[in-house]
Amino acid sequence: MSRRYDSRTTIFSPEGRLYQVEYAMEAIGNAGSAIGILSKDGVVLIGEKKVTSKLLQTSTSAEKMYKIDDHVACAVAGIMSDANILINTARVQAQRYTFMYQEPMPVEQLVQSLCDTKQGYTQFGGLRPFGVSFLFAGWDKNFGFQLYMSDPSGNYGGWKAAAIGANNQAAQSILKQDYKDDGTREEAVQLALKVLSKTMDSTSLTSEKLELSEVYLTPSGTVKYHVHSPDSLSKLLVKHGVTQPAAESS
Amino acid sequence: MSIFEYNGSAVVAMVGKNCFAIASDRRLGVQLQTIATDFKRISKIHDRVFIGLSGLATDVQTLYQRLVFRHKLYQLREERDMKPETFASLVSAILYEKRFGPYLCQPVIAGLGDDDKPFICTMDSIGAKELAKDFVVSGTASESLYGACEAMYKPDMEAEELFETISQALLSSVDRDCLSGWGGHVYVVTPTEVKERILKGRMD
Repeated sequence: MSRRYDSRTTIFSPEGRLYQVEYAMEAIGNAGSAIGILSKDGVVLIGEKKVTSKLLQTSTSAEKMYKIDDHVACAVAGIMSDANILINTARVQAQRYTFMYQEPMPVEQLVQSLCDTKQGYTQFGGLRPFGVSFLFAGWDKNFGFQLYMSDPSGNYGGWKAAAIGANNQAAQSILKQDYKDDGTREEAVQLALKVLSKTMDSTSLTSEKLELSEVYLTPSGTVKYHVHSPDSLSKLLVKHGVTQPAAESS
Repeated sequence: MSIFEYNGSAVVAMVGKNCFAIASDRRLGVQLQTIATDFKRISKIHDRVFIGLSGLATDVQTLYQRLVFRHKLYQLREERDMKPETFASLVSAILYEKRFGPYLCQPVIAGLGDDDKPFICTMDSIGAKELAKDFVVSGTASESLYGACEAMYKPDMEAEELFETISQALLSSVDRDCLSGWGGHVYVVTPTEVKERILKGRMD
């Protein structure tokens, strides 16, 4: 169709589109999904692990969720190698801010700063855009708990609930129906598990295929980022009744 | 007067039995005038590594902030805390980067390594490491501190005795140095807890 305008990221098509950016979003649409939900006492991030093989060396480090700073974490969907670069960039940006101002970087500023980096790859340099979408979850003293979604174009938005990756449109529509303002963190976890179980391609939901994390305030007032262990996840799956294989749940 | 003596400082660290203690004075001066009596020279990097910085106060603060920067990134990437030996190498490298325009500080690093083995070291302002098995000192009161520690130190002291020893060594040394003093700040770190104490000494 408009093949002549595909190869360079830095030019518009006649219809005013940036094809490379759209192709990047296509790549993300095939990757494992991630959902983020904002509640009044925390933010919940859940991710679907696409590659689960017996041969994979189990490591303690997460595949979908990463800590950016003590008060901000993110979930990724897309090309993992691109994600690693951007996560490192975000971490360094957060530390640079803290070094300069001796306080934690406000969440929106961190997201904006990273998105400015992503935007650079759509306007100059002739390099392809990053094939990653992020869900940032964090807390700062100005705006409390926040959830942001960003995509390869460098656009970002603040959301109450958002989904990225495979089947994100289906997930987003379920979230639109079922999301309640001022829910608790527990309700957010339940909603996240429910939405993911409905939109995931695989037949059954087990703790090996998921990663769940929460950002919340401890009673002493510090922000905590907690990744659930596989055992804790299994218990939650049973508790919220989403662990039955597809045959039973239909 | 040398630039290292502009603000005045005294820092000392000692090794005990599966524990360590690190102590500093609290005076911040501008040559002969005392400006503050609660200046923090010792800072925590993580629960098992502490760094005390003597020398020019502005470099003490900035160097510490730079070390926090590097350690935070290390923690995020490696998903673990830095070992004290590794941290000492990092400090040494950062100081040497500024070989021809150095940070005017002398760090004292103290930490608990693997198997709860205490580790202490000091270095000069361009990163020459000096490891010791017993005690390390730095600051304007360092000569007095060397004497006091040599006389009072004995190996394998428990936490409480170590606290008494390091406090006596610090207070008697800063009393002989007009640029340091106004109390003391002592951290005694064992595998299970960190005890922070303020000492009241001669307030002059």
